Amino acid sequence: MTQKSVASSVYEWVDERLGLSELVAFARHKTVPVHSQTFWYYWGGISLFLFLVQCFTGVLLLVYYRPGAEAYESVRQITFVMHFGWLIRSAHSWSANLMIFSIMVHMFSVFFMKAYRKPREFGWLSGMALLGLASVFGFSGYLLPMDELSYFATKVGLQIPVAIPFVGAAIANMLRGGPEVSEFTVQRFFALHVVVLPALFLPLLGFHLWLVQRHGNAAPPSVEALPPEQRKSMPFMPNFLRKDLAMWLISLNILALLASVFPWTLGKPFDSLAPAPAGIHPEWYFMSPFEMLKLLGFVFSGKYAEFGEIAGILLFSLGIMLWVLIPFYDTRKPTGQRARATHYFGLLAIFALLATTILGYWTIR
Amino acid sequence: MNYPFWEIPFLGSGWVIGIIAIFHVMISQFAVGGGLYLPMAERKAMRMTDPETRAAWLKQLASHSRFFLVVTAVFGTVSGVGIWFAIGLTHPEATSTLIHNFVFGWAMEWVFFLVELATVAVYYYTWDRIDPKLHLKVGWVYGVASAFTLIIINGILAFMLTPGDTWIAVAGTGQEASKFWNAFFNPTYWPSLLLRTCVCCSLAGVWALITSSRIDADKQPALKTSMVQWSVKWLVPSFVAMPFLMIWYYMMVPASQQALLTLGIDTINAGTFSAVTRMALVIIITSATIVGVAYYLAYRNPLDFNLSHAMAVLLLALIATGAGEYSREMLRKPYVIGRWMYSNGVRVPSVARINQEGYLTHSNWVWSGSDSSYSRGEAIFRGECGSCHTMDGYRPMRQLLAGRDRANIGSFVLMLHDYKPDMPYRRFMPPMVGTQQDVNDLSDYLNFQVNPPAAPRVLTAQK
Ligand code: HEC
Repeated sequence: MTQKSVASSVYEWVDERLGLSELVAFARHKTVPVHSQTFWYYWGGISLFLFLVQCFTGVLLLVYYRPGAEAYESVRQITFVMHFGWLIRSAHSWSANLMIFSIMVHMFSVFFMKAYRKPREFGWLSGMALLGLASVFGFSGYLLPMDELSYFATKVGLQIPVAIPFVGAAIANMLRGGPEVSEFTVQRFFALHVVVLPALFLPLLGFHLWLVQRHGNAAPPSVEALPPEQRKSMPFMPNFLRKDLAMWLISLNILALLASVFPWTLGKPFDSLAPAPAGIHPEWYFMSPFEMLKLLGFVFSGKYAEFGEIAGILLFSLGIMLWVLIPFYDTRKPTGQRARATHYFGLLAIFALLATTILGYWTIR
Repeated sequence: MNYPFWEIPFLGSGWVIGIIAIFHVMISQFAVGGGLYLPMAERKAMRMTDPETRAAWLKQLASHSRFFLVVTAVFGTVSGVGIWFAIGLTHPEATSTLIHNFVFGWAMEWVFFLVELATVAVYYYTWDRIDPKLHLKVGWVYGVASAFTLIIINGILAFMLTPGDTWIAVAGTGQEASKFWNAFFNPTYWPSLLLRTCVCCSLAGVWALITSSRIDADKQPALKTSMVQWSVKWLVPSFVAMPFLMIWYYMMVPASQQALLTLGIDTINAGTFSAVTRMALVIIITSATIVGVAYYLAYRNPLDFNLSHAMAVLLLALIATGAGEYSREMLRKPYVIGRWMYSNGVRVPSVARINQEGYLTHSNWVWSGSDSSYSRGEAIFRGECGSCHTMDGYRPMRQLLAGRDRANIGSFVLMLHDYKPDMPYRRFMPPMVGTQQDVNDLSDYLNFQVNPPAAPRVLTAQK
């Protein structure tokens, strides 16, 4: 048998059992709309790529990381002793941040293209859940090196759940494994970070991707309003896929550049008795909620302070609820026009996020 | 020590050279590569049998050559002059050595440079005006002249990293110029020349991709396909030969400098310490991406290849070039001219004399007004450390010394002064030269900056 016929008979054998050719036929028919905003379609793919990088580098870090009392020492070894350990660690940290950034870009582009409307409600909901999980990934991962900064930032971060009435303190204690951030906290966060969160994230991601395959990319309302003969599209295979992969490659380059030119450093080992160093602040993606709560704390100071915290949490939860539930009240209009009100809600959300984040960084100093 | 110190706060003077140089290298290597690309492409077009494709190719080449003329003859020359200003101010001592040692080399360089400029102008303005064969000849003259500018400057650049034993033996005797050819064909001359030639060819290809990506695929699909594919081929030699050339180059560099590369494999240390390794990684990954994009997006699918793809490739090429030049600079530390002159302009053999007679005694441009320990320390800092460190910006002293007290700073400076053979900082820092008094003055100044006294600022030393 020639090489070619071996390959094709292997393919046939597998195809008979798994139905590969259906998949191929499906992929061949899938198209992606082409319009002035096609650029934003790439961000979901970029997020996926960065997640894959996280899995790969995460597993490598897992090989040497030891949670608990030796956490700091093991990260020190990874950073300073293992060959290229610093690179893997830097890539993991940078890619985590870039992933959350690109998920946010993806979310806002979906929002403004109104891609959450029927039949894509589940896509939006699962996407929001993925973003939520990603930020918990970030929060739990941040503590793992147990250096000074991560220790105090986590300590401050765990103050937020405390503000929840009745159950807040209990939740915080459960996360900490005691009244203080300690070795037990690292152990718990580690379990969360490498077992619980992936176990939730992966099936959800699968569901999200399946939905995307099922419904395809949504075109923005302005394009949908066009008569069919004026809408342009390109085949997913191979045109869009090729461009998608090019984007992945560019993301990889940016990641490599950041990780090797600005390697993630390691601070001093934490010392729970030392005073908190100046300028402790949460990671950038938590800056906005952190700052909003702080602002509300100012508004209701003195004896209303406690009330202010509760009000803050309530207000915040309400805002998030409104955001998550958007597909259910911004439904498809018969004219295909966009709804102005939600559009402004989106702009307001971006403005609030940016303003509070900038204010947060401004006031650290 | 015959020149004033040039202080650039925050950025550091090294970066002024760096920024201009990366820009200049990118353009001048494109000028050399393009010098080969243009006549080769023109010759290929002239041999085409189909008159229509031939005319389309020539038209495309004429427009590419306009772009080429503007980029190389305007931006290339201006940035080249910029480098002279920058190195003259930052490394006056080294610049003087290079000029004196290579008088004849510079003369040749400028002759070829003038020929290059004249022919590129003639080449551009005579499309369709003179006999095509003569026009092609002008192109070849340009190509040869620009190749020679590289062949010559490469000798001088490589000399700075590896001057070679023969030259070192006569350095400082006044007979340096007698070893001109030894200094010129120094140990890294050939690997460096071949490396740079490869880079030139790929840059010619990359820039040609930019102009050919703009051909309208709907109107001229055949032209776009052939132009894009032919331009991609210019990237091939580099990517085949580059890894081997880099290894060869690396082998020719002194062992103490090689150590800088392996240093970064297993440690990031405080900062730029392991920069060479990290830059090497950047070069590898960007080059691999360029290959990928050039093959899949350009060669396999030339009609879909658009300007933004081409810009992405250009950007990656810029990053790779920048990283390459940066690592070459880092490899040279702590010298500006290998084994002969430290980055701060101190000649290796004069260290003992300065240690005896004092650093400031030999600095002719230090103010003589206030003579406090503080201001003497500041002058020493500017002169000896300022070429690599700033107070708050690049390699910031305040940050690098944070947490150390006066005694600790003093012993650090003393360690730099004693420069024992096993001191780890020898790999990238020159010795601190001067008398015991100088050591104290510098330590006082640094201590004052790092641990400012709470009282209002005074300009006298706190002894
Ligand atoms: C050839 C350039 C060069 C010169 C000149 C130079 N340094 Fe450095 N220095 C370096 C480099 C490179 C590093 C490593 C920086 C890093 O790790 O981020 C360094 C690091 C340092 C550090 C930090 C050491 C540590 O343990 O982390 C100090 C302090 C320092 N230099 C002081 C000086 C002083 C004082 C002078 C002047 C007498 C001087 N340097 C001159 C290149 C130089």
